[in-house]
Amino acid sequence: MSSGLTTESQGDNNSGINWAGVIVVLFGLLFAASQSNELMGLLVVEPGSAADQGISAACRADELEEENLSQRECELMVANVQIVLASRPEWVRGLMIPTSVAGALLAIVSIVVGLGLAGHRRWATQSAIYCFGLLLLIDLIGFFAMMNTGPLLRARYLWNILLWFFIHLCMVTRSFADRGSGNELE
Amino acid sequence: MQGNSPDKTTILLHWLLAVSILFLFASSWWMLALPLPSDEFTYRVLPFQLHKNIGISLLVLLVILFTGSVNAKNEKVLKQPGWVQKLALLDHFVLYLLIVLTCLSGYMSSSYSGWDTSFWWLIDLPAWSEENEALNILFSDIHMWTCWLLLAVIAVHTGAALYHAFLNDGIIERMFRL
Repeated sequence: MSSGLTTESQGDNNSGINWAGVIVVLFGLLFAASQSNELMGLLVVEPGSAADQGISAACRADELEEENLSQRECELMVANVQIVLASRPEWVRGLMIPTSVAGALLAIVSIVVGLGLAGHRRWATQSAIYCFGLLLLIDLIGFFAMMNTGPLLRARYLWNILLWFFIHLCMVTRSFADRGSGNELE
Repeated sequence: MQGNSPDKTTILLHWLLAVSILFLFASSWWMLALPLPSDEFTYRVLPFQLHKNIGISLLVLLVILFTGSVNAKNEKVLKQPGWVQKLALLDHFVLYLLIVLTCLSGYMSSSYSGWDTSFWWLIDLPAWSEENEALNILFSDIHMWTCWLLLAVIAVHTGAALYHAFLNDGIIERMFRL
């Protein structure tokens, strides 16, 4: 088993797969899905929309049966949107839409970098620090943005962002360590 | 080294399929918590349409991926014990089957719900019949249960891939060759 992002590439042991690249791909897939979903949420839940205007929930009996929901749950779905709108300052949406776009695109780039790392490609080792570093920056922007929202959104977002931050921190420090130790290969 | 390896298109399709499926899971849990639709509450329109578009596209991608996979024999797998080969075959068969069932049941459920399906906002797909609440619920239930099963099989598939990556036995290498 190899010991890191590029260690297998040393000498003539550049065979097989680099498991760290496989993990980078896995996290890249998950982060791409997460950021794309976040982007959709930001686009769909707009200030001034129905929930923001205080319109009562539309809870038709057939819809409740179809979705296996109670009347109370149906009403709380509107409250759920109201929580987001009430806790999120307008500037957060303006900041987080481009951040989520960048996050989703960078996640896709990280999948490609992970594939390259798994296959011991030189370009992947060289670009890993930049790619993972930018992912770390995306986490930091998200964290500081959510820090400045209300407690309801902090409760929803901060822990998740923190988990991603430490995952990306592991990836970027490993890339630095590889570069520092001269395991840059081929 | 890899014998008849899959081409780059097949590899890219595999990963495109993976990221699309994960997005569909994440977005479906989120969008089902949005307010029920009405004239005023239109929050679900875009997410549902996108969900259907990606789901239907997955079926097309799957056919192309399946063709590529059938043609590419993994010689490293062929050297494994018989039960491992059978397990790998079963994993892929169940995975493909569940993706197809999930996509089809979702489309059928939508078709009987009375909502239109416009494929990427370009082509209006035909509904199978008039709105039918009972069939909508039936296919919706099938969709939900195949989704849970699919998630379980994806976890097994990912676990097996990681296991072979840590062993570095060459089994999964070909899906990581750019």
